[in-house]
Amino acid sequence: MNTSRSLLALATALSIPFATAMPLSVAADSGPIKIAVITDMSGVYSGISGQGAVEATKMAVEDFGGSVLGRPLQVDTVDHRNNGPEAAAKAAEEYDNGAELAVDLTNSATALAVGAVAKQKHKLEIVTGGASSALTGANCSRYTYHYAYDSYALAHSTGHSIASDPNGKTWYGIVPDYAFGKAMLSDFTAAIEPEGAKFVHEDTYPFPTTTDFSSYLLAAKESKAQVLGVLNAGADTVNVMKQAKQFGLDKTMKLAVGLMFLSDVDALPDVFAGSRITDSWYWNQDKAARDWADRYTKRVGNGSRPTSIQAADYSATTQWLNAVKAVGSVDADKVQGYLDGRKFNDFYAHNAEWRARDHRVTHTMIVVDVLDKSQIKEPHGWYKILETIPADKAFRPESQSTCNKDW
Amino acid sequence: MPHVSPDYLLIQIFNGLVNGGFYALLALGLSIIFGMLRIVNFAHGAMYMLGAFVAYYGAELLHLPFFAALVVAPILVGAFGLGLEVLLLRRLYALDPLYNLLLTFAIVLIVEDAMRLAAGALGSPYATPDLLAGATNLGFTEYPTYRLFVIVVCMIVCAAVYFGIERSRLGARIRAATEKPELTRAFGIDTSRLVSGTFAFGVALAAFAGVLAAPNTNVTPTMGDTVIINTFAIVVIGGLGSILGSVVAGFALGVIAAVGAVLYPPIANTLIFIVMVLVILFRPTGLFGMAERTA
Amino acid sequence: MIAGRRGALVGAALLAAGLVLPFVPGVYIVFAIDLVCFALVAVAFDILLGFTGLLSFGHALFWGGAGYVVTIAIARGATSFPLVVLEGVAYAFVLSLAVGALSVRRSGIYFAMITLAIAELQYFVAFQLTDITGGENGLPVATRGTLFGLSLENDHVYYYLVLAIAAVATTLAIRIVTSPYGAVLAAMRENESRAKSLGYDIERFKLAAFVISGTLAGLAGALYSVGNRLAGLDAIDWHTSGAIVMMTILGGIGTIYGPMIGAAIFQSLDFFVSKTPIGDKTNIVMGLVFAIIILIARRGIVGELMHRLRPSVVLPFDDEEPVLDNPILEGHA
Repeated sequence: MNTSRSLLALATALSIPFATAMPLSVAADSGPIKIAVITDMSGVYSGISGQGAVEATKMAVEDFGGSVLGRPLQVDTVDHRNNGPEAAAKAAEEYDNGAELAVDLTNSATALAVGAVAKQKHKLEIVTGGASSALTGANCSRYTYHYAYDSYALAHSTGHSIASDPNGKTWYGIVPDYAFGKAMLSDFTAAIEPEGAKFVHEDTYPFPTTTDFSSYLLAAKESKAQVLGVLNAGADTVNVMKQAKQFGLDKTMKLAVGLMFLSDVDALPDVFAGSRITDSWYWNQDKAARDWADRYTKRVGNGSRPTSIQAADYSATTQWLNAVKAVGSVDADKVQGYLDGRKFNDFYAHNAEWRARDHRVTHTMIVVDVLDKSQIKEPHGWYKILETIPADKAFRPESQSTCNKDW
Repeated sequence: MPHVSPDYLLIQIFNGLVNGGFYALLALGLSIIFGMLRIVNFAHGAMYMLGAFVAYYGAELLHLPFFAALVVAPILVGAFGLGLEVLLLRRLYALDPLYNLLLTFAIVLIVEDAMRLAAGALGSPYATPDLLAGATNLGFTEYPTYRLFVIVVCMIVCAAVYFGIERSRLGARIRAATEKPELTRAFGIDTSRLVSGTFAFGVALAAFAGVLAAPNTNVTPTMGDTVIINTFAIVVIGGLGSILGSVVAGFALGVIAAVGAVLYPPIANTLIFIVMVLVILFRPTGLFGMAERTA
Repeated sequence: MIAGRRGALVGAALLAAGLVLPFVPGVYIVFAIDLVCFALVAVAFDILLGFTGLLSFGHALFWGGAGYVVTIAIARGATSFPLVVLEGVAYAFVLSLAVGALSVRRSGIYFAMITLAIAELQYFVAFQLTDITGGENGLPVATRGTLFGLSLENDHVYYYLVLAIAAVATTLAIRIVTSPYGAVLAAMRENESRAKSLGYDIERFKLAAFVISGTLAGLAGALYSVGNRLAGLDAIDWHTSGAIVMMTILGGIGTIYGPMIGAAIFQSLDFFVSKTPIGDKTNIVMGLVFAIIILIARRGIVGELMHRLRPSVVLPFDDEEPVLDNPILEGHA
């Protein structure tokens, strides 16, 4: 009796590892070269990147020919579920199993977490979706490139564009009380001051618990400031915009929004109409963009148009593949040496450079006004481009970089 | 401390009453359910969320007006709650009430994720009803009309529920059943219907709050998450099971938090919890709580 | 079950499984490290819930809080692994003492809600102190430190270190709950007033259990953060507290070994389901599994197993003798 029970216990215990078993892992030096698209597949960022990012990356791989250096290419989808440790663990697993590149990383916390892993394993990470300037500042790394945009670029472009107008000199800021908000505030302030504009007042509100912004909006209205700086993101932006319109603020003030993407407007067009934002790319900005967007839309099949991040994923993947081919190796150090300082141009990134100083990839940015439903000429035609900011103006100048470059 | 004008402070007090109104409604429902069933309904925030979504889908699919949603959502979500009680919660009454707490936690996971699959993780837009749009001149400021409406409605509903339980015959039965159940049954009163009805009613209150919240807040599947923990704190402060406690604590904490946020911003998110800790230290059963049974 | 020769056998089997785990095909080493850490926190939690009957809904306080302390220490230049872990454990110890003193005078529902709210307090504080904690970005660090000169960067080396620590800690936990002290805890859980009448200072015992549980949870959390080289807000979020509760109940409250198995299953489900096509429905799956366990298999996997094998053993929260304090529900229980 005792023996059989003990055996039962033993069997139960030992079955666990087998319950957790998965298919065999792939050897790293032969076999396919993998690109891991690490993104949010089902949460708040899934519209910005998500499945579309995976499709865009696959498109890049297929357009490149499906293989490089005689080895086939494989695109792996990794859902980080907006969880730092999970992103890090899955990235580590990918890198150990043949992935040479991690791309997308929409969500700055996961971008930073995977960056630490990339550094550890000497593999490359190209961040398109994450916003944090820390990726090219305090957390800069030999193995991380920040490709699409960052909070500095957004603030500077939008801030400069509005403040240079005589009706954009007095600002009222609505700022969430956390790192992103504070960074936005200081970046916006620095952007508008050279134009003779300033924040007459900023309301810093408790984050993430505030859903009601009426008191701040009323105060903004009474301040008679010309511009409302909506320096937050996600659900907060939606709430502020909604409530601002309830007070008719969109009629009397210019609405500057810190961070927003095409997919956000698709989801809530009435909320975002009339705001001014900066983005890195728009599907209808020129013929090259539109041609690519048409191919994307046909592939994805549901009529949606790509966001700038999805386009960035395609562009980054293609550029990386070109580099690998040129260098003749997937070794991260060699590819990084090749990329540093290199200039390039494609349908996404114009006048672009892989800046060696801090691994910030610079390119032009666009400042746009968001149209409302009655003004658009075709589905998803939300942006009206006002200004293209040159690459050397859009991003933080090299001289101001806080990157402790150790490579 | 920043210099704040008395007008601004007054505005903040009004804002506090709005937030407090929501706290009061939610704490009220939670307290009623606890008082009768000894269940802490972790899914209360999820019911609030469902109420908001009923309003949203009602408007999207059936052009359901806001005021109709205020009636329809509580009924629908209350019925859903009734189903949950009859099919699931009832099975665990004989056990330690912690099991029902855990079951309602599992329900939160399921309901929120199901809603996310149906509606997406981004917000669903819900507009303020035209009748209540714009602002009203209160003398010291222009204040959004809708928010005034919320304050008034919350106060009316809380008062109605309170007096209903204190004064009506149904209320008397509910109170009797809670305090002396065997005696109540001996009088031939069907306590099982009271139990189910109470749970459904508590849930309906949460859904009502959800509809009220929809115009001003982003309607998302996780909107209940941020709300449920604060509601727990309010209920502990007011006293678990005390209706008066929930209402008073709700409104009071709403105002305190709003004013506190202005006077010392970093404390804003944590003020409710700090107050809760103080109450636990100095008045463990809550401000109006009855002596704790062996819960 | 957990005492005596049989218990030792089960323990040995689990240890053997742990030794072999990294070599099982498909098991990724970092995932294995995480798994052992979660198994340890589940043990810690079981000491409290299974043996004292107190349901804490805020164990992320210790798990995540210690994780932050450890990571902050490394970020500031500390290189000694034992030292940073000690700092994390010390933080958990002091915190559990403070929180315990505040909350053990209450029981049941109140206790759960208080621990939940205080955990939220820590969450918001960590969120605000961006300069120290990295705020919403979390705090990644570059190194795991060294142990008496031995570098811990190699994942396999670190795994076996964590396994060894967990084995020692679990043995300690079992010693505690099977000691006379543990017997008093069990007595308190079954009949508090009688235990009190026998002269035991109930609150002291509960507080001690809470502190042991919290400190051990802090150790687990410290090992986890160092393992991942990252501290993040999810570790101090109340959903993590909820996950810890779920794994423990899944495994079987009051069985120590059960929660370890529960943690392993829970983590495996979570990790691997999220890689499958239904990956975006992970929460629904977890919720359904948990609901089913609560409704029909409350004793948890190991608990149910033990109940079949040794029906005479009464486990905590066993529903053979219902604890009915709410007569109003008697009519339709």
